[in-house]
Amino acid sequence: MSYQVKLPDIGEGIAEGEIVKWLVKEGDSVKQDQPIVEVMTDKVNVQIPSPKNGIIRRILAQEGQMVKVGQAILEIDAEGQEQAEMQPPSQVTKEEISKKEEKQTVQENVIATPSVRRLARELSVDITKVKGSGPLGRITEQDVKAYAQQRTESATQMTETVTKEKEEEVEIYQLRGVRRNISEHLVKARNATVAVTHVDEADVTELVSLREALKGPAEKKGVKLTYLPIIMKALIPVLKEFPFVNASLDDEREAIVLKKYYNIGIATDTEQGLIVPVIKNVDKKDVFQIASELNNLAEKARNGALTLDEVKGSTFSITNPGTFGGLFATPMINWPDVAILGIYKISKRPVVKDGEIQIRDTTYLSLTFDHRVIDGAYAARFMSRLIEILQDPKRIMSEVL
Amino acid sequence: MQEADIAIIGGGPGGYVCAIRAAQLGLRTIVIEKDRMGGECLNYGCIPSKALITAVKLYDKIRNAQKLGIKVTGVEVDMQIMQAWKKNVVETFVSGVEQLCKGYGAKIIKGEAELVAKDRIRVTNKDQVEEISTEKLVIATGSIPLELPFMRFDHRSIIDSRDSLELTEVPKRFLVVGGGAIGLEIASLYQKLGSQVTIVELTEQLLPGTDPEVVRIVQRNLERKGVKIYLKSKVVYAEKTPYSVKVTVQTPEGNVEVETDKILLSIGRRPNTDKLNLGQLGILTDQKGYILVNKQMSTSVEGVYAIGDVTGPPMLAHKASKQGIVAAEAAAGLPASADWKVIPDATFSEPEVANVGMTEATAQVKGFAAAKARFPFAALGRSLTAGETEGFVKLVYDQNTKLLLGAQIVGSSASDLISEVSLAIEMGASVEDLAMTIHPHPTLPEGIMEAAEIASGKPIHQLRIGQR
Ligand SMILES: Cc1cc2nc3c(=O)[nH]c(=O)nc-3n(C[C@H](O)[C@H](O)[C@H](O)COP(=O)(O)OP(=O)(O)OC[C@H]3O[C@@H](n4cnc5c(N)ncnc54)[C@H](O)[C@@H]3O)c2cc1C
Repeated sequence: MSYQVKLPDIGEGIAEGEIVKWLVKEGDSVKQDQPIVEVMTDKVNVQIPSPKNGIIRRILAQEGQMVKVGQAILEIDAEGQEQAEMQPPSQVTKEEISKKEEKQTVQENVIATPSVRRLARELSVDITKVKGSGPLGRITEQDVKAYAQQRTESATQMTETVTKEKEEEVEIYQLRGVRRNISEHLVKARNATVAVTHVDEADVTELVSLREALKGPAEKKGVKLTYLPIIMKALIPVLKEFPFVNASLDDEREAIVLKKYYNIGIATDTEQGLIVPVIKNVDKKDVFQIASELNNLAEKARNGALTLDEVKGSTFSITNPGTFGGLFATPMINWPDVAILGIYKISKRPVVKDGEIQIRDTTYLSLTFDHRVIDGAYAARFMSRLIEILQDPKRIMSEVL
Repeated sequence: MQEADIAIIGGGPGGYVCAIRAAQLGLRTIVIEKDRMGGECLNYGCIPSKALITAVKLYDKIRNAQKLGIKVTGVEVDMQIMQAWKKNVVETFVSGVEQLCKGYGAKIIKGEAELVAKDRIRVTNKDQVEEISTEKLVIATGSIPLELPFMRFDHRSIIDSRDSLELTEVPKRFLVVGGGAIGLEIASLYQKLGSQVTIVELTEQLLPGTDPEVVRIVQRNLERKGVKIYLKSKVVYAEKTPYSVKVTVQTPEGNVEVETDKILLSIGRRPNTDKLNLGQLGILTDQKGYILVNKQMSTSVEGVYAIGDVTGPPMLAHKASKQGIVAAEAAAGLPASADWKVIPDATFSEPEVANVGMTEATAQVKGFAAAKARFPFAALGRSLTAGETEGFVKLVYDQNTKLLLGAQIVGSSASDLISEVSLAIEMGASVEDLAMTIHPHPTLPEGIMEAAEIASGKPIHQLRIGQR
């Protein structure tokens, strides 16, 4: 008997995913629970196991395709049930008809006239994303144009112009996988926040020596200690003091939600692009624990092995472009967080201290925040407080361990 | 060696339409056809069958005109003349297609194509061989009828649909194996011409997959006219004698012996891809051999497209043509997509059957608040005046939103009526939109309006439940 495998509910309110890779092909036999397909949702890959023993009959979704939860992605001739006896195919053919029809009407919940659907294609608008203003939610020509207009104004404009170039002069990469998620997420972040960046300078000479001092003990515990875990720990008292930075804005409820837990997202560069794994409950862990978790997550991120849980639920984030040089940047907020801390390259610079020029380890720090939630003065005070802690080794020691 | 931007293998309704659109878009276009332009549809399928069905329907009407006060004597069918007329219809159409192709600059090359590589085709015409190199390739080679292991086509007593449309003598006894669209159309044809017709169908109903309420009307009509129908039955044995074929039909009531003059095998079709080297070129197919395509009609190999019957059911000429347009446009770099909501189908049985979109059962499965509204032709002015009152219009819609989801029509001219509903579905119309559109009186499409009025809860020509 043929059995349709649907994209299961992966949880966390995820409604769709992208087929990244089929691990089986038509004609293969599969065992129950054997992974059959890799699906990417919101920045992580999930492997979907086969619900049954059987033989893969037909793959219904191509790699790169977005599928909705509940949508059929595969047909399995399930084992155990009697194969229908050999029949002339007239019947089989009819059975196929309905399936084929189903395949050809994927957009059946979209109401739009054929010419409007074509317009959407011409403007590279995914019509399933457009909200219809007409009767029964019908999508009008105006709706599609308005959507395209708004999109052009937003961040994806770049890819738009790329595809318009002459093909010989450019190389075109389809937005797939992580890249597509980044793109969608960033547009959302941009459209959902009013981002402003505040930059300050910190003398981190004491921090540098603190790390030197902790390196040995860290190695004994088998972890590589960077500045990041120390800064994360230093952040906790500041976040507690400035609760509006560890928060999110719930537009629907028109409410600011202050979070009493401290999950810090760490922007991580991988071969496929930017991923933000989250260290949970930073306030309850020591630097070494954090360091080892960081190494672990970074490794997983690079292998595409992160679970959904590991990239969800941040309350605040850190980006560390310093390792790649530059003075400072204006990062994007990791929405729905309201703020992101940027830490940059630590270098020796001349600093006037105690009335004389000294060579000190300094860095720039930036806080990009949603101005709807936080005002500039609040952000500046947050930053000063953080710098104060980072510059004071005794404070750091007590917070760090 | 000839060079092309796009080469299309097969000149059927998929291939020739694709060629015309490709040429219109400025591509150097070659279409390769081993037989006759127009493919199965124009030469051996839709067109000749409809020509004969229409002619025979007229014959049937004339014979039954008595009750309308028309006295008729001496009506006779001359199969030779009828076949000649049909041939003429086909010829006119085929030469029209050739002229269109040439007129738009699509080059027709006659011969059998083999795929050497994804951009290289070898064409053999008798003993001449030539090679074509092409940028883009479209496979439109159609389908061929299936046989049974113990019943192969001899094209004399065991015939395929092509043969059945070439007969110049009406067989006394005619057995149709497979009660799908093709089987039913030809069964009706020969029933009207006077054959004693028997239909053997494997599933529990004729036209498998069709709304059973619709099928009941067709089956009743056939049985009233003396057609013997065996459902849930199959032919298990056939033996040719010098003058007939004797078959054993396994029915739920036990085995039945049937003796017949001709057997039409219409049990289904399979993709015609034997010469194409699909496996070697990496062109993926499903288990039945149908080529897998995406919404741009692209196969698993870049630059290679497939359209029409080779891509699998529903096997319909109009679907092949629309896919041909999408493939041509996609190959030319336009943002084309096979994103139609529905593909209507029509069966020219007695009476006709036409379907579009969802049945009530499918709508339910898909999570709609499925509801149906039915209006019988017996209550329609035009049907009464035409003396053709069999059948009904059934609309399927969502009860909450009133969105139109599908229609099943059985009755005279169902094939012509279905397109109004197809358009309405593509436009995202509600049943109220249909109900509120003025339809001329008295005409058959009023049946659609009436059913829509019932769906909107405001019927004029039907008493509402509770008001009877
Ligand atoms: C009796 C009958 C009645 C039908 N009635 C209807 C109807 O009323 N309505 C409807 O919509 N559909 C009907 N159909 C179905 C319809 O005919 C097909 O769906 C349609 O023809 C498919 O078009 P196509 O272009 O895919 O293939 P085809 O029409 O089969 O064309 C394929 C062409 O490719 C050529 N070809 C194949 N291999 C090669 C090769 N290697 N080299 C060169 N040329 C090659 C063949 O000679 C053929 O001309 C009917 C079919 C039959 C048999």
